[in-house]
Amino acid sequence: MTTLETYPITVGNVTRHVPLVETLPGMRIPLVEFLGDPELVEEAAKLLLEKLPEETELLFSLECSSVPLVHRLAQLSDLPYVVARKRRRAYMDDPLIQEVPSLTLGASDTLWLDRRWAERIMNQKVTLVMDVVSSGGTMKALDRLAHRAGGQVVGRLTVFQQGKREFNGELVYLYEIPIL
Amino acid sequence: MKTYPVEIAGVRRELPVVQVGEGVAVALLNLLGDPELTEAVAEEMARRLPEGAEVLVTPEVKAVPLAHALAVRTGLPYVVARKTVKPYMIRPVTREVISITTGKPQTLVLDGADVERIRRKNVVIVDDVVSTGSTLKGLRELIESVGGRVVGVLAVFTEGSPRNDVTALGHLPLFKPEQ
Repeated sequence: MTTLETYPITVGNVTRHVPLVETLPGMRIPLVEFLGDPELVEEAAKLLLEKLPEETELLFSLECSSVPLVHRLAQLSDLPYVVARKRRRAYMDDPLIQEVPSLTLGASDTLWLDRRWAERIMNQKVTLVMDVVSSGGTMKALDRLAHRAGGQVVGRLTVFQQGKREFNGELVYLYEIPIL
Repeated sequence: MKTYPVEIAGVRRELPVVQVGEGVAVALLNLLGDPELTEAVAEEMARRLPEGAEVLVTPEVKAVPLAHALAVRTGLPYVVARKTVKPYMIRPVTREVISITTGKPQTLVLDGADVERIRRKNVVIVDDVVSTGSTLKGLRELIESVGGRVVGVLAVFTEGSPRNDVTALGHLPLFKPEQ
């Protein structure tokens, strides 16, 4: 085993020493992982709940790493949630398709939303939920998708804002993490 | 739209029946976006957890909220097998499986850090629906290839033909597409 350099990340009372990964030559970022960490999810969901706009009627997120977080936030707030997919599924009927303008950590560049799920968003006041926002391209695509499904976006929440803010919509975040 | 009524862990749902291939339709279970059902299923699954289970493994993405909820209830860690290799992964281990339904190849990936959480451990696989079993087979081989022991498989439903290698809360038939 090689020893990895780590970076301390704190959410409420939970601290994790996460690996620093080099995404581009000379650019390293702390790799936050909510998948497989119920304790971190619990803490983050509790704190996000305090920031959730009161008028919110539905939470909207995307696969995969934000899923446990939006599940828990939905439970705590007693609100429904919808998840956009990154691949077309065989059962999708007339899906909404949204290109993501920028790539973060090799994430897919297209979001898919089954029509049945888009209908749940229609005429709802929607808060967007993501675990980490860096350039904001994915958040912007999610925003656009919510609008196209007929929802009104009333909030954009994330646990971590990473690096320089380029997202020019209103974004509420709990913590900043650096690009080193 | 045709639906199929189910009752799982005391929760009733009308599952939409959707066509997924030539001549085949399925009742579509979606735990994503259904915290009530997810939590009820997790409660029921926790009672059926195999003796000696040490870690849960789930394929992304529909069963992820379930694995999370089951991990909270049992205090066990869980690992998500991803479907693509991410650039940030360190020494990922992959396995190709061919989906019998779609005929398309599918990749299952464990990040190196997660491999260490599985090695020499008693693993329980958690999934939403086990149909042809191609994902299950691939996942089982992947876990065993890194030294994990699969001691049980928990699913919400088996689908198509019944299976005795899966502990399921219910069974779904396959459907003919509507004309």
